[in-house]
Amino acid sequence: MNRENIYFPHLAQITRILPQIEDHKLFGLTFVDKSMKDNFSYRPGQFVELSIIGTGEAPISISSSPTRPGTVELCVRRVGRVTNALYNLERDDLVGIRGPYGNGFPVEELEGNNLLLVAGGLGMAPLRSLLWYTLDNRERFEDVTLMYGAKIPDEMLFKYELLSLLDRPDLRCMLTVDKDEEGIWPAHIGVVTTLFDQIEIDPSTTYAAVCGPPVMYRFVLEELLKRNLSKDRILMSLERKMKCGVGKCGHCAIGYKYTCLDGPIFTYWDAINLPELI
Amino acid sequence: MAKPIVGIFGLTGCAGDQLVILNCEDELLDLAGALDIRSFHMAMSDNDEDCDLDIALVEGSVVQPEEVEMLERIRSRARLLIAIGTCAVWGGVQAMKNEEQREKLKRQVYGPKGKDFGIIPSQPLSSFVRVDYAISGCPIEKDQFLQAALSLIHGDLPVLPDYAVCTECKMRENSCLLLERGELCLGPITVAGCNARCPAYGQPCIGCRGPVEEANVASEVNLLREKGFTLVDIQNRLRTFGGQSEVMQVAPTERGR
Amino acid sequence: MKMVKLQKKNLNAFLAGLEKFGDLHGPVRRDTNDFAFQKVDAPEQIAHDCLRTILPPKKYFTKPVDTMFTFSEAEGYRAPDKDLHTKIILFGVHPCDIHGIKILDLVFGGQYRDEYYFARRRNAIVVGLDCMPDEYCFCRSTGTDFTEDGFDLFLSDIGSSYLVRVGTSLGDDIVLETSTLFQEIGDTDRRAYKRRSAQRINSFEVEIHLEDLPEIMDLEYESRIWQELGDKCLSCGTCSMVCPTCYCYDVVDQLNLDAKSGSRLRRWDSCLFKDYALVAGGHNFRADRGSRIKNRYFHKQRGFVAQFGRPSCVGCGRCIVSCPAAISLVDVLTKLRSRGNE
Repeated sequence: MNRENIYFPHLAQITRILPQIEDHKLFGLTFVDKSMKDNFSYRPGQFVELSIIGTGEAPISISSSPTRPGTVELCVRRVGRVTNALYNLERDDLVGIRGPYGNGFPVEELEGNNLLLVAGGLGMAPLRSLLWYTLDNRERFEDVTLMYGAKIPDEMLFKYELLSLLDRPDLRCMLTVDKDEEGIWPAHIGVVTTLFDQIEIDPSTTYAAVCGPPVMYRFVLEELLKRNLSKDRILMSLERKMKCGVGKCGHCAIGYKYTCLDGPIFTYWDAINLPELI
Repeated sequence: MAKPIVGIFGLTGCAGDQLVILNCEDELLDLAGALDIRSFHMAMSDNDEDCDLDIALVEGSVVQPEEVEMLERIRSRARLLIAIGTCAVWGGVQAMKNEEQREKLKRQVYGPKGKDFGIIPSQPLSSFVRVDYAISGCPIEKDQFLQAALSLIHGDLPVLPDYAVCTECKMRENSCLLLERGELCLGPITVAGCNARCPAYGQPCIGCRGPVEEANVASEVNLLREKGFTLVDIQNRLRTFGGQSEVMQVAPTERGR
Repeated sequence: MKMVKLQKKNLNAFLAGLEKFGDLHGPVRRDTNDFAFQKVDAPEQIAHDCLRTILPPKKYFTKPVDTMFTFSEAEGYRAPDKDLHTKIILFGVHPCDIHGIKILDLVFGGQYRDEYYFARRRNAIVVGLDCMPDEYCFCRSTGTDFTEDGFDLFLSDIGSSYLVRVGTSLGDDIVLETSTLFQEIGDTDRRAYKRRSAQRINSFEVEIHLEDLPEIMDLEYESRIWQELGDKCLSCGTCSMVCPTCYCYDVVDQLNLDAKSGSRLRRWDSCLFKDYALVAGGHNFRADRGSRIKNRYFHKQRGFVAQFGRPSCVGCGRCIVSCPAAISLVDVLTKLRSRGNE
C-alpha cells in the first residue's frame, strides 16, 4: 500500500509505570521508531488509540503535555479487556499507538485569556495535559486557575504532583476532597463547586475547561453560567465508545458530530445542540 | 505466563459440547500444549479431582441434587467457571417440561427404578453458582470455542456475539425464511455465532443457541402471530431450547389468549 | 457525456468480452424474490429482472468481515494483500446503489483515507443499469433516482436497445474493446430515452419530503414514536446490514493457535445492538432500544445532512422489505411529519 495505513499502530515501549490510585496507573510510552519519537506532536485534549496486540484497541486521552516531548503519558484506568491486558504488561514491553486523534483544546484561541480548569475524579487525566501546557507556556496566558475535586484523598490523581503546585505563584491551584475521614488532607474540603465562592471570573477574558463524571457537569455548568461565562467559552472533554478514532466505525457519532473527529472537546453550546452529549 | 490449569466437566446433557472440543482435530495438539488439562473424564484417565483450576469448562444442565454438589465443588476449585453449551447456559432441551411434576415424569420414564434417585427441574449452572462466562450453542461452535480458549490463553476474556442470528444471516445473503416463506424462524431473537448455519440450508432457526441479549420476544411473538402461527406453536418453539430463560416465556400480555 | 447504443441481444456478447478487465459480477437469483450480487461464470447467469439485491454493493468495498492487518512477533503488522487487488466488473448497479457508493466514498475518504476501501473501489468497474420502481422504492424523494457520475458505464433500457452513457475514460476503453457491438444513437433513441425517463418518474408510488426533515426531526426529538418503535424493533441488525450506506464496524483481534500471532478484523456492526454505545466501565449511552432507533434515524436523516449536506438514505427500500418487525422508514417519516395533526 502506497499511502500510510491509518489502522497500523506504531510500536511504543513502556518506559515508566507510576501507580496513581487504585486501578489507575500512569504509563510512560516511548516510540520505538526514532522519527516517530522525535516527531510525534499533539494538542492537549487529544487522545490516542492504544493497542494491545491480540487483545484489541481502546481510546485513551493523553495526560502529558506536548511541551515535554519524547514520552507520551497515558493515565489508564483498569476497566476493560484492553486496559486489563495493559496492566499485565511490564516495563520495556511493547504496545501499539495510533494517533493523536480528536480536536484537542483550541490552545491558540485560549492564549491571552484567563484559564479556569475544572476537573472531577478521573477528569484530571486529560486536563493534566492542558495544565502543563499552560504552565510551560506561562507567558502566553493570563491568570490560570485549577480546581480539582476527588471524593477522598486516596482517589486524587497526580496527588503529589498537584500538591507540589500549591505554592506556585503563577497558578491558583485549588484542590479539594469531598471527605477526609482520616484528617490528613492539607487543602480544601467540599465538593468542587464549593470552590467557586473563592474566585472571581471575568466572563470577557476567561475560558473554562471542564472534565469529570456526568453528574459533575450539571453543577459546574450552573456555577459557570451564573457567572455569565459564555456557552462557547466553556470547553468540555467528553467520553464515548470509539473503535477507529478516525470517523469510520460510527460508534462515537452523536447527532451530527463524531466525538473522535469533532471532539472530544466540545463547547457547552455544542452540548445544547446535541441532546445526548452530556 | 504459566499454562492455565483446566478442568472439563459434564453434567446432564448429551456430551456434545465436550465432543466438539475433542473434534478440534487439527487444533487439539496446539491447544493441549497451551493448556494444562487436569480433568476431562470423557477423554482421559488419571483425572486430578482436587487441584485448583484456572478455568473450569462445564457442560450440561443441573437435574439432580448430586449435580448441585458436583457443581459447587467445581466452582470452589476454579478461578473462572465457564458454562459451555445451551444446557449449561440456559437449561437446555430438558428444561422444556420444567413446569410438569418431576415425580410424575420420573415414573413415566423410569418406572419403578426411578425410586432410586432424585431429580429436580433442569436448570442452568447460573441458578446455583456464579458463572463467569457463557459460551452457548447446541453444540458449541468449534471456532467460537477455539477463539475463546485462545483469548483465555492470551490472558483476556473471550468476546462473544451480542447480536442476533439475523445479522449473520444477512451477511451471508440468505433468503429470509421468515419473510419470504413465512416460516417460524427464531433468528431475530437468537444469539449469533453459528454463522446462520440452518437458514443457509433453508431451515428456520429453532433457537438452539438461546436468546440474544435483550431479546424482544414480545415483538417476535406478535409478528409470528400475524403470520398465522398459534401461541402454542410459538411457545413450543421458544421453549425447546430456551425453556428456563425468563425472556423466552411468552410475554405476559400474550399469555392465556 | 458520450453516449452510444447497445442492442439488448448483444449485451451478453459485450459482457463476455470483458474478461481482461476483471471478473464479472452481477445480480443472481437466490430465491423467487431474492437476488445477490455475485461472481458469474457466464453473463447468462445474471438476473436482469433484479430490482434490489439482499446486500447492496458495499459488500465489495467494505466486507462483512474484513482483515485490517495481521500481526506476529516475526513480521510485525502486515496489511492483507489478498483480495485488495482483484479486478471486478460490477454489472447491474441501480442509481440508488451508485449513490450509496458515492456516500461511502465520502465516509471512507476525507482527512483519514481508508486505503482498503479505496483499493477495492479502484479495482471495481461499475456498470450501472436503470430500473422501474416498485412500491417500496423512494429514491425519487431522496434525489437518488438518477446519477450523473459514480459509474464507468450506465445502461438505460430504451426498448430493444440500451442507451449507454460513458462515465469514465476506462468506461470508454471498455466500449472500444468491443466497439463493433455499439452504434451511434439516433433521434428515435433520444425520443425513446426521454419517454422511458418520463415513464419512470411517473411510476413512483411513494413520496416523502426531505427538504425540511432535519427541522421536523429536531421538533420531534422527544416524540413518543421513538419508544413505540423501540418496543417493536427486534435489534436484529437486518436494516443495518442491508443498508447501502451503513458503514459502522466493530473491531476484534483474532488469534492464531500460537495465541500470539493473529489478525485484527473488523465486522459490520449496527447502532441498534445493545452494546453499541457501551463504554468500558459499564456506562451505556443508549441503553434502551428506543434511543438506539432514534439515533439511527437521526444519523441518517439529520446528522449526515449537517455533516455532508445530504441525508445518507438513498431510498432503495431494502430496510423496509427486510425488516422482520415490519418497521417502514417511509411510515416513520410520514408519521413524524403528521404528528400533532392527527
